Amino acid sequence: MSSRTTYALAWVYITGILAFLWLPLVPPLLFSLGSGPSPTWHWYAVLWQNPVLVRAIRTSALLGALTGITAPCLALLGAMAVRELRASRAVLMLMLTPLFIPGISMGLGSAFLFHLLGVDPSVWTILAVHILWSLPFALLIILTAMATFDPVYLEAAYVCGANRIRAFLDVELPLIRPGIAGAATFSLILSLNETVRTGLVQGPLNTVQTYIWSTFLQVGLSPDHYALMSLLIVLTLILIFAFPALAGARRGRSEVSPATDA
Amino acid sequence: MMNEWSGHFRRRDLIRMVAAGAAGAGVASASRSLGFGLAEAAMKGTVNFADIGVGDPGGDWSKFTQATGWGVNLVAFGNAPSQILNVLVSGGGTQVYDIANIVGGMQKPLVENNLIEAIDTSRLPNWRGDTYIHDFLAPGTPGFEFIGYKEKVYGVPTVLQGDSFGYLPDVTGHLDSYEALFNPKWKGYVALEDNFTTAGQKTALYLAKNNLASIKNPADMTPSEIKTVVDFLIEKKKEGQFRVIWTSFEQAVDLLVRREVYVMDCWEPMVFVARKKGVNAEYARPREGYLLWAMAAYIVKNPKRPPEREAAAYGLLDFILGPWYGAKITLLRGYMTNPGAAAYAKSHPSEFNAQDAAEVTRITDNVRSKFQLGGTWQDRWPTHVNDYEAEWARFKAAPSK
Amino acid sequence: MGAVQSSSEQVSGRGVAVSNAIRYGALAIPLLFVVVFFVTPLALTIAVSFWERAGFWIRPAFTVQAYAEFFAGPRFFVLKRSLIVAGLVTALGLALAYPIAYVLALHTRARVSRVVLLLFTVPFVVNYIIRTFSWEYLLGRTGPVNQALLGAGVIHHPLDWLLFTDVSVMIGLVASYMPFMIYPLWVSLAGIDRRLIEASWMLGAAPAWTFLRITLPLSMPGVFAAIIFGFVGSFGESAVPIILGGLGYQLMGNTITSALDVLNYPLAAAMSSVVVVVMLAFLACWYLVFDVRSFLGKIVRWSA
Repeated sequence: MSSRTTYALAWVYITGILAFLWLPLVPPLLFSLGSGPSPTWHWYAVLWQNPVLVRAIRTSALLGALTGITAPCLALLGAMAVRELRASRAVLMLMLTPLFIPGISMGLGSAFLFHLLGVDPSVWTILAVHILWSLPFALLIILTAMATFDPVYLEAAYVCGANRIRAFLDVELPLIRPGIAGAATFSLILSLNETVRTGLVQGPLNTVQTYIWSTFLQVGLSPDHYALMSLLIVLTLILIFAFPALAGARRGRSEVSPATDA
Repeated sequence: MMNEWSGHFRRRDLIRMVAAGAAGAGVASASRSLGFGLAEAAMKGTVNFADIGVGDPGGDWSKFTQATGWGVNLVAFGNAPSQILNVLVSGGGTQVYDIANIVGGMQKPLVENNLIEAIDTSRLPNWRGDTYIHDFLAPGTPGFEFIGYKEKVYGVPTVLQGDSFGYLPDVTGHLDSYEALFNPKWKGYVALEDNFTTAGQKTALYLAKNNLASIKNPADMTPSEIKTVVDFLIEKKKEGQFRVIWTSFEQAVDLLVRREVYVMDCWEPMVFVARKKGVNAEYARPREGYLLWAMAAYIVKNPKRPPEREAAAYGLLDFILGPWYGAKITLLRGYMTNPGAAAYAKSHPSEFNAQDAAEVTRITDNVRSKFQLGGTWQDRWPTHVNDYEAEWARFKAAPSK
Repeated sequence: MGAVQSSSEQVSGRGVAVSNAIRYGALAIPLLFVVVFFVTPLALTIAVSFWERAGFWIRPAFTVQAYAEFFAGPRFFVLKRSLIVAGLVTALGLALAYPIAYVLALHTRARVSRVVLLLFTVPFVVNYIIRTFSWEYLLGRTGPVNQALLGAGVIHHPLDWLLFTDVSVMIGLVASYMPFMIYPLWVSLAGIDRRLIEASWMLGAAPAWTFLRITLPLSMPGVFAAIIFGFVGSFGESAVPIILGGLGYQLMGNTITSALDVLNYPLAAAMSSVVVVVMLAFLACWYLVFDVRSFLGKIVRWSA
C-alpha cells in the first residue's frame, strides 16, 4: 500500500519538475501572439518573410542534422578506443577535455587555428566546432550505456563463431542503441543551442542562435522570433508523440533491456 | 554461389545509389541552406554586410539590387569590441566581410591592426550633401572620432544619436538631470547599462558638471579620475541604489515596460518601444547634456577583393547614405540617419504612410536638437581603456549590500 | 559454414595485421579529431597566456604578468564564485535528477519512460537565451510569480530577492542543466541487471540497504557523467549570469569576454588556462578517489 503512495508521490514530483522546466516556455508562446490588445497569428506569417532568419533556420537545421549524425559516430569510435586501447584513462581524459575550456576561449582558439591553416569560415568550420563541443557529451552517454552492457553476450557471440565486427553489430549495438540515440539527441540539442563558439567561426553565415543573440542584445526581439520558438515546441511535441506511435509496431530486441520485463 | 554474388551486386549497387542520392541531396540542400538559390544566382554577387542588427532595413535590399545588380548578405554579430576585432582578426573576417557596421569610434584598434581601409569619399555622391557630417562630424571636432582617424575618413556614419536616460514620469515626475540615477528616492529602482563608455561616461559627466569631482574630460579620463567615478558607483551600489546592470536591448525595454525600475540609463529607442507597448515613458533632456555617438560603416581591408566587389561595396555605402535607407532605419530603429530621410518619407506616400512620415520627421528633429544642446561625445576607445575595464570589473565585483 | 571460415581467416597472420591496422586506424579517428581541433587551440591559449601585449596585439615572450593580474585583482573572486555556484548547481541538480531517473528507469515501462525523457528535452528546442529571459519575466517584481503570491495572500509586497540575486541565477542554471543530468543517470540505472536487485531482496536486505549497496554503486557511471555535465555546463555559462544575475554578477565566461573586449589576450588566455587546470584537477581528484575502473568496469576488464 505504502509503495503505491510512494509511487504516486514520485509521479507528482516528476510532474512538478516538468512543470517547473516548462514554465519558461509559456512566455514565448504568449508573446508570439503579438503585443497588441488581441491575439493574432500575424507574426507566424511575418516570420517566414524575414530572409535573414529563414536562412539562419536552414543553416541551423543543416548543422544540427550533421552534428547529430557525426558526433555519435565519432563518440562510438571513441568509446571503443577507450575500451580497447591500453591507456584507457588517458584516452578518456583527452576526449573529455573540450568540456573544460570556456566557450569563448575555445571559439577564439579554433578561429586562430583555422586562420593559421588558411581555412575560410564556412559551414564546415562551424560544424567542426559543434562536433568538438558535442563529442564529450556523446562519448560519456555512450560509455555509460556500454558500462551496463555485459560482455558475456559478446563472448557468447564469439562462441557461436561470429567475428568481432559481427558480434559488435548484431549483439552489442542493439543493446546500447538507447545510448546512441541519446547521444544523437544530445548532439542535436547542443548544436542548436551553441552560440559563443559559433560566433567566432561563423563567417558569412548566421545560425538561429547567433542571430537571436545579436538581435536580443542590440535591437530587441519581436514576436516573430517568439513565433519561431513556439513552432519548434509544437513540432517537437508532435515528433515525440508521433514517433513512438509509428515505431510501435516494431518489436525488436532493442525494446528489451537486460533482464527487465519491458 | 550465384545467389551470393548477385546479392552482393544488388547490395553494392543499392548502397552506391543511396550514397549518390544522399550526396546529391546533401549538396543541394546545403547550397540551398547557404542561400545560394536561383534568385541569387541571377545577381552579379552579394556584398557581405556585417551588422549589429541596427542596420537591417527589414530585409529589404531590393532598391539596392535593382540599382546595382548586387545583393546584400547581412550577417548579424555583436557590438562588443572583442566580437568585432576577434572575428575580423582571427575568424578570417577580413576575407569574408566587405562592410562592418558598428558603433563608431573603433578606428584606432581597427586601423592599427590593419583591418579597415580609408574611405575615398569622392566615390560617394551622397557624402557631400550630408549636412550632418559637416555639422557634427567635421574633422577637428570630437565627432570626427567616430568616423575618422589621423585626418583620414574610415567610416560612413549610418546613424547618429544622443543618449541620456529614460524614466516613468507617472512615478517620478519630470526629471532633467543625471542626478536622478543616483537619487536615494529611487533606491532599488534604478538600472545602469553594463558599459563603461556609456554608463561610466554619463556618471563622469554628471560628477564633472555638478562639481562633485574634478574631471577634466569625461570622455577621456585619467586612471585616477576613473577610480573616482567607480568609487562613487561602488558606494551607490552598496547603498542598494541599483536594481540591475542591464546587458541587452530586450532586457532594458522589459525593465521599463514591467515597471521593474523607474529610472534607467538607456538608449532612446527603448523608450519608443516601451511606448509602443503602452507604457508612458520619457527620455530625459538633462541639463548636463547628452552622450553623443554615431554608428560607422567600415570597409574591411581585403587586398584580394576584386574591383567590382569593391565598387559594389562603395555602392552600398552610398545607398546607406541615401534617403530611402535613412527613412527606413529611422522608422524601424528610432535613430537619426541622414538629412534626406524626413523629406523622402513625406514625398513618397506609397512607401511611407502619413503617420510613418511624421514619425521620421519627429525623430530626426528630436535628435538634431540633442546635438545642438551638446554634452559629451562618447569615447569608445579611451586612452586608458585598460584601466576603464579593470575599474569596471571592480565595480561589478563589489558587493551590493 | 561461412561464419566459421571468417573467424579462421582472422587467425591467419596477415589477416590479423591488416584488421588490426584498420581497427586502430578507425579508433584513432576521434582522437585525431580532438587533437587537431582542440589540443592545438588549447596549446595556443596556454602559450599566449605567457606572452606580453604589444600595442593592440601580442608578442611572444615569457612573463607571468597576466597571471599576476588575474590572481591579484577583483577577477579572482569570480573564479571562486564560479566554483561555488557550479558546485551548488551540480549538487542540487543531482539531488533533483536522481529520483526522476530512478523512477523512470526501474519502476516504469520502457516506452512511457522514453516519452517522459523526451518531454524533458522539449525546453531545449527553445533558444536558451529566450528561456533564460523568460525566467527574468517570471521572477520580476510585477511578474506572474509575485502576482500569484500576492493574490494568494502569502506576501504583501513583491519579493525583491527573486530576481537579480543568487536565487535567480541558481534557478536559471538548474533549469538549464538539470535535465542534462537526468539522461546519463537514467541510462545507467536502466541498465542495471534486475536480477542483482532481486537477489538482494531474496537474501533478506531492506529496500534502503539494497539501494545503498547495490543500485547506487552500479549507477556510479551515470552519476559521474551527470556531475560532469552539470559542473562543466554551469561553470562556463555566460548568458544566465548577465540576464538573471543583475548587479554585475559574473562567472568565468563573462570575465574572460570582458578581458577580450579590450584586446587583453594574455589575460583572457591566462584565465582560460586557469579554468582548464582547475577542471582537470577536479577530474584528477575524481580519478583518484573513485577508481575509474568501476566506471569503465566491465568495459576494461573485458579487453583481455
